[in-house]
Amino acid sequence: MAAADSRATRFYRVLLRLLPFDFRSDFGPEMETVFQEQHKEAGRLDGATGVLRLWWETIVGIFRTAPGEHLAMFRQDAGFALRMMRKNPGYTLAAILTLGLGIGANSAIFSVVNAVLLKPLPYEHGDRLVTLHQQAPRAGMLNQPFSVAEINDYRTQSHSLDGLVEYHNMNFILLGRSEPERVETGVVSWNYFEVFGVKPLFGRAFRPEDEQPGAPAVLMLSYEYWIRSFGGDPTVVNKTFTMNDRPHTVVGILPPVPQYPDENDVYMPTTACPFRSRPAFIANRQARMMQGFGRMKPGISVRQARADLNGVAANLQQAYPKEYPPSIDYSMATSSLEEDLTHNARPTMLVLLGAAGFVLLIACANVANLNLSRMVRRERELAVRAALGAGRVRMFRQLLTESSLLALLGGGLGLLFSWGALNLLMSFAARFTPRAREIHLDATVLLFTLAVAVLTSLLSGTAPALAAREAVVGSLKEGGSQSTMGRGRHRMRSLLIVAQVAVSFLLLIGAGLMLRSFAKLQQVDPGFQPENVLTMQIGLDFTKYNTDDKQRAFFETFLDKVEAQSGVKSAAASMMIPLNGDMHMTGDFMIEGQKPVPGQVHPISDFRVVSEGYFETLHIPVLQGRGFTRADRPGAPSVAIVNRAAARHYWGGQDPLGKRFSADAGKSWVQIAGVVGDVKQYGLDKDAVDEIYVPMAQNPLMDAILVIKTTAEPMSIARSVIELLYAVDPNQPVARVRSLEQVRAESVAAPRLTTNLLGLFALLALAIAATGIGGVMALAVGQRRHEIGVRMAIGARPTEILRMILRQGMALVLFGVAFGLLGALWLTRLLQQLLFEVAPTDPLTYVGVALVLGFAALVACYVPARRAARVDPIVALRTE
Amino acid sequence: MSAAQTNAEPFGPLTPSMFHVLLALAGDDLHGYAILKEVELRTGGKVRLSTGTLYGIIKRLLSDGLIVELRSRPAESEDDERRRYYRLTPQGRQVATAEAERMDELLSIARSRNLLKKTRTA
Repeated sequence: MAAADSRATRFYRVLLRLLPFDFRSDFGPEMETVFQEQHKEAGRLDGATGVLRLWWETIVGIFRTAPGEHLAMFRQDAGFALRMMRKNPGYTLAAILTLGLGIGANSAIFSVVNAVLLKPLPYEHGDRLVTLHQQAPRAGMLNQPFSVAEINDYRTQSHSLDGLVEYHNMNFILLGRSEPERVETGVVSWNYFEVFGVKPLFGRAFRPEDEQPGAPAVLMLSYEYWIRSFGGDPTVVNKTFTMNDRPHTVVGILPPVPQYPDENDVYMPTTACPFRSRPAFIANRQARMMQGFGRMKPGISVRQARADLNGVAANLQQAYPKEYPPSIDYSMATSSLEEDLTHNARPTMLVLLGAAGFVLLIACANVANLNLSRMVRRERELAVRAALGAGRVRMFRQLLTESSLLALLGGGLGLLFSWGALNLLMSFAARFTPRAREIHLDATVLLFTLAVAVLTSLLSGTAPALAAREAVVGSLKEGGSQSTMGRGRHRMRSLLIVAQVAVSFLLLIGAGLMLRSFAKLQQVDPGFQPENVLTMQIGLDFTKYNTDDKQRAFFETFLDKVEAQSGVKSAAASMMIPLNGDMHMTGDFMIEGQKPVPGQVHPISDFRVVSEGYFETLHIPVLQGRGFTRADRPGAPSVAIVNRAAARHYWGGQDPLGKRFSADAGKSWVQIAGVVGDVKQYGLDKDAVDEIYVPMAQNPLMDAILVIKTTAEPMSIARSVIELLYAVDPNQPVARVRSLEQVRAESVAAPRLTTNLLGLFALLALAIAATGIGGVMALAVGQRRHEIGVRMAIGARPTEILRMILRQGMALVLFGVAFGLLGALWLTRLLQQLLFEVAPTDPLTYVGVALVLGFAALVACYVPARRAARVDPIVALRTE
Repeated sequence: MSAAQTNAEPFGPLTPSMFHVLLALAGDDLHGYAILKEVELRTGGKVRLSTGTLYGIIKRLLSDGLIVELRSRPAESEDDERRRYYRLTPQGRQVATAEAERMDELLSIARSRNLLKKTRTA
């Protein structure tokens, strides 16, 4: 019976665990006694039935009581916490602000990561979309576009795709509004949007009949263009606009989805493009202009699609050995669209998320430290409460409630911060991915923020709670000697400081490396002078300027007028300008006297079409021979100018001047008239490529970028140049009017913004850590006033005290830097791909950061140290 | 409005179980088990409080100051170390009285509406 009793008691004790700790410790033993008596009596009076009934009543009773008791406890804790927070507004504000910054940094960066990397593409079939690129690496052609014949072959021969659509971009001129407008146009297969799974917001999508030759011209507007140019007016559907020489009817408006590969204003079916429609173009298997996108059949993986499409590539090689000779290593590269849209953003975003996480860690450590410092003042309160029977668990919970309230308030503040930064974040992310517009503070971000806040409260609340336990234990021992309690907590505080310094060091190294890398990027000689150069893009109306002569005449007339303008030193036109991210024209050629070896790769180079003043306008040095002149016209011998890289690469030791090459398999020959310096065409961080320039007069352009060297600020004459343009042709629009320095700045905007953000995080970390060190040292000095007083009373000089305190503070910093150094050596590898000409272990950065951090810490320690040195021994000894 | 009512208000309505506990303690200072037995006895076994419910009530009554735990214990012989005795405070008595008066008024109304027989005993 006794055994049964004790078993019942044991089970009853388990039941009691459902009640809050305090309740249990207040009433547990008594409840147990009462239950034992009940149990005894129930057995005596009613036997097993009575016992069963008692158990039932007891279990129900406990389950009914427990929730209310827990809630009451929480209310009490929260009320107490709020009172404590109101009593210490300084501490509360500092903690909420620190946590707000830490949490805000995280939710802001997470909102970007969530939108760009985590959420599925906002296309209905986003996960099944692939981009297709033809590869011929041995002909120097990577990511080649498609010809009409190729698109058709892949469409009919692939088994893994249930849709294959084409895309190319061109510009039309929209007339009938206040100024002629250049309209960026995506020219697409009729089922382009259907394959992507994008349904029009208003109107309809294209239909097969829209793509029939001779069909009435139709348009779909992109959401952004619709908002920008038509104020979001849905009645624009079915309206007709004259683009170039044809009326086009708006049939639909697209929803706000990321546009890839280009941000277009409008979309048209393929038959609307006069070039794409030319029979000669359609017939030429090697006239490649379009990009291809496929939608995999459900259940097909990218790998399967890749194998299938490479099978088609092999068929083509068999069927057309002349177009796809084995020597070029022809194949098809297939990658998921999602990957294509986000791979630029991934490394940067993940590095930033990591950095934000570190900032939060520092913030947590700092709040934990603030909390610990406050413990000293709360020691009495805690001891009294312990004496009054507040259990350890109770105090632990009380302190955690306080820290979670702080973290939740910090989380709210953090959300406000990230909400405020949303637009900045979007423009930042837009440098990396077309998905930037999808960034919102949505439910996922809110949930993430809440989770971070909870984690934060645990991180920042645990250390003080542990310390409180120690305080309680201490207070129970021989009246709770202050010094023994203090020592453990001091160790904890020191540890937190070391951690903060280590993490700050890590972040500063990251930011420092990015800064060094960016500085290196800025120092790169681009090979041209961007100062005082105005640029603008002029795409001729292809209907009006439909012959070489008309195109040449337009640009020559216009350039002459511009050069005559006051404030203009020189002007030129070019197919593309450096650092603009334009598409490029690459081609192979034959060098006279060099027999092409079968199976060997032909010489390959970038080709650029420029007008005669180009080198002079951009200050690209002519190293040998001459630049282009007006004499290089049709009828005159074809000439070209090569850059130094191409000259070295293909003419090696010989003098390239006067040498000839052919870009059309020997049908015509071009003579090299000069050699110019190399230009960083594709980015300051990229090597110059081989370039061959040909004169615009011999190779007329329809779409060109004007470069105008000015005597004053280039944008100041932009308007008068545009007026000149309208004087030549009032229906000719101009686009992208920018200074070349702007172009250059934009080419490094992504690394600059990344550097700024990382720098901001690092400075935040440094500031938080420095105040942390200062606070801890101040507290240590305050606690040791007596000791310092004694030291001074027995003859220590103030400078010795000053040095002692500084030494102790800086020892912590040194430890922190040592740990940070190890962490940095290990973690900065992840930065590698964001760095330009700076090794992740760049010694200069490490030394510089150590100095900066050391100096900041020294300043932070100096204030309390000076206070220590000024301690009046008499006062200090008396107060003790 | 009586003084008792004014005092009773901050504690909100008493649950029947709380009232039973107050009633039990209105007679004598009792320990937990005795309260349970007293309530069971007075109600003819209709009301049986479980330990969880009882101590939830005791905690509430203690913090509201309606009962106190006794410092002085009864004679050694009848005492168990772990037992605690509770006593109604004057305030507790007021609250219990107020509740009883409230019920009495309700009963009078019920009688006047012939829902109950007239008083059984004088």
